[in-house]
Amino acid sequence: MLSKARTNIPEATGDLTTPEVDSFPIWEVFTQKNIGDVHLHAGSLSAPDASLAQHFAREHYGQDQECTNMWVGLRETFIADEGNQESYEVFVQWKAGDRHQHVGSVDACCGCEAKAKCKEQFVGDKSFYTIWTAPISRLTKIDGDKDMIWRETTDQGYRLPRGYSRVVRQKWDALRAEQAVDTYQEEDLKETF
Amino acid sequence: MSASANVEVKVKEFSKEDPAKLAAFEKHVAEGGLVEPNDWMPEAYRALMLRMAEHHANSEIVGALPEGEWITKAPSLLRKLALTAKVQDEVGHGQMLYEVAQDLGKTRNAMLRDLITGVTKYHNCFNYPCPTWADVCMIAWLIDGAAILNQGTLAHGSFGPYIRTMRRINMEEAFHFKHGEDMVLTLMSGTENQKKMAQEAFDRWWGPALAFFGPVDPPDVMERPAMKWRMKTATNDELRQKYVNRFAPAAMATGLVVNVCEKDEKGFVTSATPDPLLKLDKETGNWGFTQPDWDEFFRVIRGDGPCNKERMALRRFSYEQGEWVRRAILNGATNAPCNN
Ligand SMILES: [Fe+2]
Ligand SMILES: [Fe+2]
Repeated sequence: MLSKARTNIPEATGDLTTPEVDSFPIWEVFTQKNIGDVHLHAGSLSAPDASLAQHFAREHYGQDQECTNMWVGLRETFIADEGNQESYEVFVQWKAGDRHQHVGSVDACCGCEAKAKCKEQFVGDKSFYTIWTAPISRLTKIDGDKDMIWRETTDQGYRLPRGYSRVVRQKWDALRAEQAVDTYQEEDLKETF
Repeated sequence: MSASANVEVKVKEFSKEDPAKLAAFEKHVAEGGLVEPNDWMPEAYRALMLRMAEHHANSEIVGALPEGEWITKAPSLLRKLALTAKVQDEVGHGQMLYEVAQDLGKTRNAMLRDLITGVTKYHNCFNYPCPTWADVCMIAWLIDGAAILNQGTLAHGSFGPYIRTMRRINMEEAFHFKHGEDMVLTLMSGTENQKKMAQEAFDRWWGPALAFFGPVDPPDVMERPAMKWRMKTATNDELRQKYVNRFAPAAMATGLVVNVCEKDEKGFVTSATPDPLLKLDKETGNWGFTQPDWDEFFRVIRGDGPCNKERMALRRFSYEQGEWVRRAILNGATNAPCNN
């Protein structure tokens, strides 16, 4: 059905006929690549609620690049100064351009205190760029051990550049031998493949 | 695929910045410093960065359209898996880049609407037809190859969120490129018919690939905001020369001929003759080449290309068909009668 519909699409110009939909809230995603690694900021996404945010995060940040653990939270909670007495995960962006990195957790009465404690316990006199904090109760944590839907469901070897390169290189070698290309080309090919 | 060599912003449109702040900003950037969304930045920087990220995002999702059409027709299961993964990656690149642009001050819906209604542009090469499987191979090899070269330099730019996104995207582009290279080699080690199909597709894509890096640099390119503020770290002509040096000999090594082509209005080649300028200059190490047809390039950008209408019609169709999904997830269901 769909494929037919897509071959015969009415041409339309001008404004859209569908009404505008509100923007979704923004969520931040942290991933841990291997067990024991720190959680690093993977990126953000837009989703209407926590449940869809974690589905999207699994699909987008988990499936495309395998990881063992994933945390998802509303952007607002990472930057908020207010909050309640509880445990906070704390993250430091050491310099502009870096990804935020999980450095530990602290007990605090609000985001503001969590940021101060993070600075005291994990930063010290070192220079840093920004600190994010998130109450543990506001994070969706996906444990790769128990909940592995993004991993190993199919062989994704075809996704890895290295999955092609040996074979491709052999083919290039064969081509080069066959065609006796000049020295420059040989050098170039050696360098780039 | 992707980005976005030819976006310009007229700095004069913006009100005068505080000279002291501007000087400090320019010094910071010139010394290799990076900029994050909450830092002070000239309005023109914000506008140009937004436009770059938006154009790049548009290109990613429009680029997925011609390739997406081939998923059901891929020649083997492995190719089908790889192509599906590539298309999913490209749409994912679009989503990440829309996030970057959104943080600079434009809502995602406004960006999607502007794309569909023709207010904003996407990469010109996606206005060309993709009639055979060999075109899918050439897009992955030549266009993703061009994208890697370009994005490799963009990853050394000055805007933090954009360079973080480039780093991640480039890892995935490496797979697209290897997958493309593998497919091209497979075709070129195949039957006479397969080789012919590959050559014809190469003829269709070589020009758009050269034009991918954007128009010839103006003489004052280094003084313009994109280079001065390190949003870009290599000029269009530098990248194009590097690209030819890398891809012309590689194409010849597989048995492909680099031709200068004329095309009809549907984007199909009507005449092809070997590029008379394609020679290696031993002194500079650069390959000579014939420039792409720039009249055609500007004509296609203005909307008069072989597939502009078709691509936007499909994008509009998908957007409008998805309306009920957006409503449903926003709990916006109503009891009003439904006409579609
Ligand atoms: Fe790509
Ligand atoms: Fe891409």
